[in-house]
Amino acid sequence: MAARLSLNAISKSYGAGDSRVTALTEITLSLHEGEFFAIQGSSGSGKSTLLNICGLIDHPSNGDLHLNDIAITQLNEQQRCMHRRKSIGFIFQHHQLIPAMTVYENIAYPLLLNNKPSRQVRHEVEQLLTKLNLTHRRKHLPRQLSGGEQQRVGIARALIKRPQLIIADEPSASLDHQHADAGLQLMRELNQTFAASFLIASHDPLVIAHCDRKLTLLDGHMDGHIDSHS
Amino acid sequence: MNWPLIAVRNILRDGTRVISTLLIIAVGLTALLLGSGFMLSTYDSLQEIGMRTEGHVIIIDDIPEPLLGGSHQQLTLNNWQSIQASLWDDERVLRVLPRARFEGIISKGSRNAVFFGSGVDPHEEFRVHGPFLRTNGVLDPWIATSETQDVVLGVQLARTLNAIKGDLLTLQIAGNSGEISQTPVRLAGTYQSGTPETDNHTLMISLTTTATLLGTDNISQLSIYLNRHQDASAMQASLQENLNNVIVQTWQQRAELYHKVKSLYDRIFGVMGLIILVVVFLAITNTISLAIYQRRKEIATFSALGTKPARIYANFILEALLIGITASMLGMLLAYGTSHAINLSELMMPAPPGKSEGYPIFIYISWSHYLLTSLLLIAIVVSASLLATYNTTKINIATALS
Repeated sequence: MAARLSLNAISKSYGAGDSRVTALTEITLSLHEGEFFAIQGSSGSGKSTLLNICGLIDHPSNGDLHLNDIAITQLNEQQRCMHRRKSIGFIFQHHQLIPAMTVYENIAYPLLLNNKPSRQVRHEVEQLLTKLNLTHRRKHLPRQLSGGEQQRVGIARALIKRPQLIIADEPSASLDHQHADAGLQLMRELNQTFAASFLIASHDPLVIAHCDRKLTLLDGHMDGHIDSHS
Repeated sequence: MNWPLIAVRNILRDGTRVISTLLIIAVGLTALLLGSGFMLSTYDSLQEIGMRTEGHVIIIDDIPEPLLGGSHQQLTLNNWQSIQASLWDDERVLRVLPRARFEGIISKGSRNAVFFGSGVDPHEEFRVHGPFLRTNGVLDPWIATSETQDVVLGVQLARTLNAIKGDLLTLQIAGNSGEISQTPVRLAGTYQSGTPETDNHTLMISLTTTATLLGTDNISQLSIYLNRHQDASAMQASLQENLNNVIVQTWQQRAELYHKVKSLYDRIFGVMGLIILVVVFLAITNTISLAIYQRRKEIATFSALGTKPARIYANFILEALLIGITASMLGMLLAYGTSHAINLSELMMPAPPGKSEGYPIFIYISWSHYLLTSLLLIAIVVSASLLATYNTTKINIATALS
């Protein structure tokens, strides 16, 4: 199976001299096409830092990062921006919906960024709204939604463009059991239909149980080997 | 994506801050428009004084002026009647007024005073000065009806001599060949300009009397009044080309006061305007920077989704434009209303340097000026927004999202 994302001895540190803080130390892993990969660890273990580097929104201090065999560390900001737009979807822990956009506009935005025809955009957004039970909320602004609804909109926004890689930070954090399950089913569906790879940081056993492999981080280090679920 | 609608929603998200930003811009614009409106009306008045006093185009002999003052000239222009006659056929010309400058002593009984006199056309002279030379008791025309010649004095000169209308006064003038001539004149009235130099020391008599007293019908200058002041330069050029041995000038070339005051006001209002613009820029930059910094997560989300920086800048420019346009309209409305209120209230300004009386404040309303100043303010709002967006987009995406 081809590697969608590969990290080789990735390290990340902040500051310099005595105030230098190391967030990640020599993380090496490969994420394959269509794989569900979990990262777990306690708060401050480096999960978010690792997700940020894998999502191309932060730079590693050392090491190599490849996305679809392209050396990301060699790219400039404009090229990284293009890769995020085309290939990566984000599910943020705190939703990060655009406050002045309606539910419909938030979900449609990644497709419009990729210049999809408006007819296709309308069709695909309506499909997702129905699937996530958000049709009645399509014209609402994020502040008019509950936390769970916001998270579902965030999931829909990440999935709508069918990216090759989805970075998810605690995707079930604000969802009740029923909606968490629906969200995970949707992610699985996309994963199976389009071979999208998922890199998920989570504490939720339900989410972890859906994953093919998991990595545990401890103070920025890989804690043992990457485990595979049977 | 309906970006203007999204910009409106963003603006309405933070009502209090938007209202304060709108007010800062609107009040700044109002101050600029009121200040510049006052400046423009002052320039307008000074131009009017210059044109009405000297004429739009002035013809003098090409002998250099004497050292004593610009307006007191030698009586050297001798072919003026033919020039005057030739100008009457020109449709651009309203009036052509000859003026002979001379000096002497005027007395009433034991009181006497030095004067600067003008021999003028009694039929036309007071018709060109408008509100800038107010007459008191002067008949129109004020030519003599008896053997005694009429004189019109500056109001303060009449007071110095303790003379009232109808009094007999004596003029002593040095003639063209140096001899002193003395003649009785009757006070036909007074005039008042608000300029001490004019009101204290000048008088006017008819040009015919001047010719008799001075023994010459030469004059100092021929003042041409036009229907449209915009024709002055063209007329000056064509006359200069066609007439020999004379100097033809426009009113601007002789309006020393206008240029001095304009230069002074340009500097005063320029500095004042700059200070207002800097204050508005700093205040807006501060408010907008805070607002945009508080939206750093939104900016970071846009970036994380793969939005080009140009799109992010465009969003904030659009918001700044909407705020700037709304505030400008509010500011223009405020300035328009305040200008009208001030103009109707007839508030008086104190007497400026070189004047003995105040004048009513008038605020000029020029829509082209309103538009230009508004565009300047809008450009400042957009610049402040760009600066704040630039500073915020420099923040690392991951840091902004954390």
